[in-house]
Amino acid sequence: MIRVQGLGKRFGTVVAINDVTFDAADRRVTALLGPNGAGKSTTLRILAGVLSADEGAATVNGHDVRIEPDLVRANIGVMPHNSGIYPRLTARENIRYYGRLQGLHGEALERRIESLLEQLDMVPFADRRTKGFSQGQRVKVALARALVHNPAHVILDEPTNGLDVMATRALREIILRLREAGCCVLFSSHIMQEVANLCDDVVIIAGGTVRYSGTVDQLREAAGTQDLETAFVQIAGLEEGEQ
Amino acid sequence: MKPFLTVYLKECVDNFRDRRTIISSFSLALMGPLLFVGLMTFMLQKTLGERDDAIHFAVVGGGNAPTLMQRLAAANANAEPITLADDADPRTLVTSGNHDLVLLIPDDYATRQSRGERVTLTLVYDSSELGSASRRARILEGQIEAYSRIIGLLRLQLRGIDPGLVQPISVQRLDVASNAEKALMVLSMVPYFILLVAFMGGFYLAIDTTAGEREHGSLEPLLSQPISRAALVLGKIAATCTFAGASLLLLLAGFYVGLPLVPLERIGLSLGFTAGNCLLIFLVMLPMIWLAAALLTVVASMARTYKEAQTYLSFLVLVPTLPIMFTQLMSLEPTPWMMLLPSLSQSFLISDFMTDDAVAIRDVALSIGSTGLLAALLTRLAISIYQRERILG
Repeated sequence: MIRVQGLGKRFGTVVAINDVTFDAADRRVTALLGPNGAGKSTTLRILAGVLSADEGAATVNGHDVRIEPDLVRANIGVMPHNSGIYPRLTARENIRYYGRLQGLHGEALERRIESLLEQLDMVPFADRRTKGFSQGQRVKVALARALVHNPAHVILDEPTNGLDVMATRALREIILRLREAGCCVLFSSHIMQEVANLCDDVVIIAGGTVRYSGTVDQLREAAGTQDLETAFVQIAGLEEGEQ
Repeated sequence: MKPFLTVYLKECVDNFRDRRTIISSFSLALMGPLLFVGLMTFMLQKTLGERDDAIHFAVVGGGNAPTLMQRLAAANANAEPITLADDADPRTLVTSGNHDLVLLIPDDYATRQSRGERVTLTLVYDSSELGSASRRARILEGQIEAYSRIIGLLRLQLRGIDPGLVQPISVQRLDVASNAEKALMVLSMVPYFILLVAFMGGFYLAIDTTAGEREHGSLEPLLSQPISRAALVLGKIAATCTFAGASLLLLLAGFYVGLPLVPLERIGLSLGFTAGNCLLIFLVMLPMIWLAAALLTVVASMARTYKEAQTYLSFLVLVPTLPIMFTQLMSLEPTPWMMLLPSLSQSFLISDFMTDDAVAIRDVALSIGSTGLLAALLTRLAISIYQRERILG
């Protein structure tokens, strides 16, 4: 369970997020939906502990990210926006590196890597250096790397960016499987279709504040339209003249 | 496995697979000894060789001047007697390409000599030719002039005149910078080169592990891992140190093998480039390697991109040369306070080890202590840079 309460962050005089509050429950997929520059990445970075909030608090499984950062990091798997992998290491070595950083080693680590490689259909290219990998293959490596320590919480920042249809479908499968396994999945996106196909809950964030928080069906109701995109545009206040 | 060790091993393996890093880390260390040995051997052989080398030339009418020919032969100038047809142009001897330096002695040489008259000898050569003809012509002319002067002096003395009258001014050359000393100057560059390798050995590693990591987008997920920033930075600096250290070992091994091949003993110089002294040089360089790695890491971490880091670091590698150039220009002798200065203290110590001079333990301790302290401070600074949020760029 990820709980964000009254989170605020400024960069100089620019307010990135202000009073952001939402919950992401276990065994559910929660989408953090918002236009570019809405504050999605800033929120997720605070959860991952690479940024610290000016106000408010965020907890993962009851652990405060500021007070017990390493405990939180051991409990979450993070795949940042456009996260890079090491091109001179093989896919397996990339994953192994993060496994070791998470404190895994030896036989247990190798078994875990092997099962991830199978789950994510990576076996054919597991022992190739990742230089020259397709975007889909790269995202798989980054995802496997984020999941190597079998975290109960998974944070994905715009994971479908640059993926083709097949790779997006594969990623969707993986996310649903993580939910089956009881994970709390929190991912950010600015694409409505993804959210409709995948999410249980949705948090709409725009201009640094939360505009909506609830289930996908409730969102349709609240907006008074079956079309999620229209609902999103209305609630995010993106209609012309309002921005 | 400890996070530090994990990061360290990953950076070593990752960079060992990068051709650019390998070339930049080790090419200087490999080329250095070759360059030094080649340059010094060439210079020494030029100096020492000039006196000994025999010069060759062709002579027409050598039989007319047997004494002169004997003198030239004694001065290591070997004549090859040739003949010239009576009405032929002596130039053709050279323009035909058969000879490149011909001395013409006229038939009336002996009679004019005995009458006390002036005789004109001719040297035929082509100064536009690339070979050594011009140089040999100059040497030959000098030898003939020396002989001529002796005869002239004898003639004056026979007539009761002071020979000094005809030479009111004489010039004596005193070239302090002999080629041998130029070779020594090259040798004095060795400490500087050793310092440069300590910086260059870790050059690309320092960039790749910092600005490179950020540019590739792998820094943010890395910072989301449950390891301390200190372990992360220390692992990266340690990897940079390893490459610089390996590069330096390679360089010292090259000098150890190569320098004994330079004929330094012919200019009365003996070097102490023994295995033991090589090891001592490596030891006093260890804190310098650390300092270089930490400094490069700090600067590269502050650069926004790989290219920017490369630009900064290209200037930075020149920093260790500044104190050395300064002291060489001012011809300063080492004093205790200089032993507190990184790069300068190492260059003095290396010079002493190289020439097998006595080295004060105090100086070594000062050098290692001050350089190590600065390296530790810079490492601390690098860690604090990684503790800032701005490191994500």
